[in-house]
Amino acid sequence: MDASILLALRDPAGVPFYPVVFQALYVLTWALHAAFVLLALGAMGLSIFGTFSQKSNSHWKLLTPHLIQTGKISISILIVLGVAPLLFTQVIYDPNWYVANTLSGMWVFIFIYTLVVAYIMYYWYYYANKKHEGGGKLIGIISFALLVFSGLLMHNFAVTSIMPNEWMNMYAPNGVVDNSGWTFNMNIIRLAFMVSLAIPVVGIFLQNYSRFLSTKEDFSPEFIQYTASLGTKMGVIGLIISALCFVAWMLQIDYLLNPLSLAIIVSVVVLLLMVVKNSNSYITTIVLVVVALLISAMRELIRFDIMANLGYSIYEYPVNLEIPSLVMFLLTFLVLGGVGVAWLLTMAWKVGKNQGFFDGSKDVAVTRLGNYTLAIMVVWMVIYFGWGMTILFANIL
Amino acid sequence: MDIIGQFPLFYFPEYGSAWMMGVTGTIHILASHTSVGAAMLFAFLAYKAYKENRSDLYPYMKKYGMFLLIFSYVIGSITGPGIWYTATAASPRGISALIHNFVWVWATEWVFFVYEVIGVFVLVYFIDKIDKKTHLKLTFSFALASVGTLALIIGIISFMMWPGTQSYYVTGSASDAFFGTNTFPHMFLRIGFMIMLSGVIGLLISSAMKKDNLELSQELTKKMGYISMLGGFLVIFFFMWYMGTLPDNAHAVFNVTKAEVIQNRILITVVFSLYFLVAILKPQFISTPLAGVMIFVILIGGIWPGEKLRESMRKPYVAGQYIYSNQIISRDVPGKNIKSELPIIAQKGLLQVNPFVPENLKIITEENKLEAGELLTKMSCSNCHSLENTGKYRPLKDRLMGMDKEGIKAILYAIGNGGMPYMPTLLLPEHEYDAMAEYIASLKY
Repeated sequence: MDASILLALRDPAGVPFYPVVFQALYVLTWALHAAFVLLALGAMGLSIFGTFSQKSNSHWKLLTPHLIQTGKISISILIVLGVAPLLFTQVIYDPNWYVANTLSGMWVFIFIYTLVVAYIMYYWYYYANKKHEGGGKLIGIISFALLVFSGLLMHNFAVTSIMPNEWMNMYAPNGVVDNSGWTFNMNIIRLAFMVSLAIPVVGIFLQNYSRFLSTKEDFSPEFIQYTASLGTKMGVIGLIISALCFVAWMLQIDYLLNPLSLAIIVSVVVLLLMVVKNSNSYITTIVLVVVALLISAMRELIRFDIMANLGYSIYEYPVNLEIPSLVMFLLTFLVLGGVGVAWLLTMAWKVGKNQGFFDGSKDVAVTRLGNYTLAIMVVWMVIYFGWGMTILFANIL
Repeated sequence: MDIIGQFPLFYFPEYGSAWMMGVTGTIHILASHTSVGAAMLFAFLAYKAYKENRSDLYPYMKKYGMFLLIFSYVIGSITGPGIWYTATAASPRGISALIHNFVWVWATEWVFFVYEVIGVFVLVYFIDKIDKKTHLKLTFSFALASVGTLALIIGIISFMMWPGTQSYYVTGSASDAFFGTNTFPHMFLRIGFMIMLSGVIGLLISSAMKKDNLELSQELTKKMGYISMLGGFLVIFFFMWYMGTLPDNAHAVFNVTKAEVIQNRILITVVFSLYFLVAILKPQFISTPLAGVMIFVILIGGIWPGEKLRESMRKPYVAGQYIYSNQIISRDVPGKNIKSELPIIAQKGLLQVNPFVPENLKIITEENKLEAGELLTKMSCSNCHSLENTGKYRPLKDRLMGMDKEGIKAILYAIGNGGMPYMPTLLLPEHEYDAMAEYIASLKY
């Protein structure tokens, strides 16, 4: 596709800040989103396996509902975290994203409702399993299949968006315009690599799970040992499968010797050793996040190169600096987001560590964080209305 | 090369593509408005429970919370981004304009969204695992975060209608675009509706508690009746203010269906006032099936026509009164260095400037005239009108029934010259009008 067309497809309003910042935010938030996609798929897949042993095996009796719960919360988090990369990609790669979405318009619609049905069925699975041990197998399997299908559709949008040279053939094959929105493209190796990562992610999650529960008296040492060992097995086997898929993918697109690709391979080996050793899974998780960031950067590098070779550089996107709303975002993100989320997570951690009941009013950190969060939110509202009224008065009087 | 940033066109047969956004939007509004309203209601109940030491309210809050979690946070959190997705497929340049003006506002809303999603799990699952005071703080922060999401999205959707003053066009500033003249009335109108919806959903839960605790069920049903009544009053009150802040083209569209809209609103008001009165005076009459039916009634009779009206009143624009629904930039925005595309289209024609028109249709010939006419009609009209003889969504058939080619062409010229305030003043070269008219006439409406 001609560079002049790609450049014309950019939004004429320009971008409201330097493109490299949106690029960095995209890489960061996609990695976080992907981490929860993989945890959701892994936890859910393993929980379905668990439903078959739940009645007869005491370990799976305990583990299966926890995995179902983990999957349930992960889906919510993956949705909320997915909104961010979706936003940032549209700022700097709007030509790619909008062409992919219009070419696959029907799939866009199907994607939304598949996800709605899949998640509602997941709750059904959760309640069915809560009611009867081993219950909800079929519902769980259907829900899992629908979630994987949603992932496949998202893969389609991503792959179509980086095929600019094919767009015209997809839209008007042999000169006949097709408005149906049924365009579908996939790259099996890339998809296999992405999905395979669910296995090591749930493996490392199990190591964390075991470590977290090891200080609680109501879980037997055998169970703690069993889940840690299961986590290690899944982590090791999963990482080997993922590494093989990754190498195949890199060979396919001729990026194997790229420094970023090599960095991913080295970091996966480091991760593998840490998983085998399992001396502190929390640190392993930090390395996992680094690997996720590198994979996210790899995806971005591939897209950047494809577009740069066609004469489209995001760094040349016209900038129309927009400072006030940026300041609002930064302050909200750092102050409100930081303090508020710290409060919620601290509380969740402490409730989890306590047997039965946690009195937050006697905990200094929880009380302070809670008070700060409320105060920040009230101040935020005051600033919002003050800012709005100032602008309105200035513009209408 | 003279080209404009038009994307491939996605057209859903019989309906057009915009209705997809409408369906997703309607479902989302029910879920998201319920969630914000319920967050405020939750804070109220938690405060009451804490102050009056009413432990019996907590099981109700837990049940309500679980319902909220599944209903609002499953459906709402998916259909929210879902609106963007479907809007992207239907109106890519409209959504792009919003993204490129308000990316930081959206990013700020995302912070609140993250807080809400983690918060709702903490709120519901820890209700009997943490002390009441901490839980009360949680409910307050959750309510503030929910209102925060509304405060942020409202400026964006209000801008879709119009910025209200000329300042945005001059400065290009997101603040001028965001705080338009109808932002605040729109916000309070929606807050009223959220309060009402929280009561409507609350009635479903309270009526379902009859078996467990009849007395509490009736007390809560009464409370929900009062809350819904208050919300309903706020909706009507702020609707008056909101209507007064809309642009002329919105009133022009509104006037077309004014009688029907007013009739529908009066009917809905009477039905729901009676429903809320029954909840207050005879709470025992409110059953779970009735409460469920009333949610459905508000979805079909209240939200769907309301959102359809709001979308119609924006016509011919899709965002900021500078982008038409058919994805063409219709005016200069000096503050953003945006130039109107109408002059180049009038001079060269849509087929020449749209980069996704295949080479064989760039120049109209006798052989390709119908095909080119079909593509031009889809590009120009299909965002708002379905084209088929059996079309369902604002069908062209209803507007051009029985007309011949020359009659259709005369209407196209009238529209292009600005003869209808709710239609785009899109002037095309004669040969493109001719191809469009020939294609439309061939459909024999």
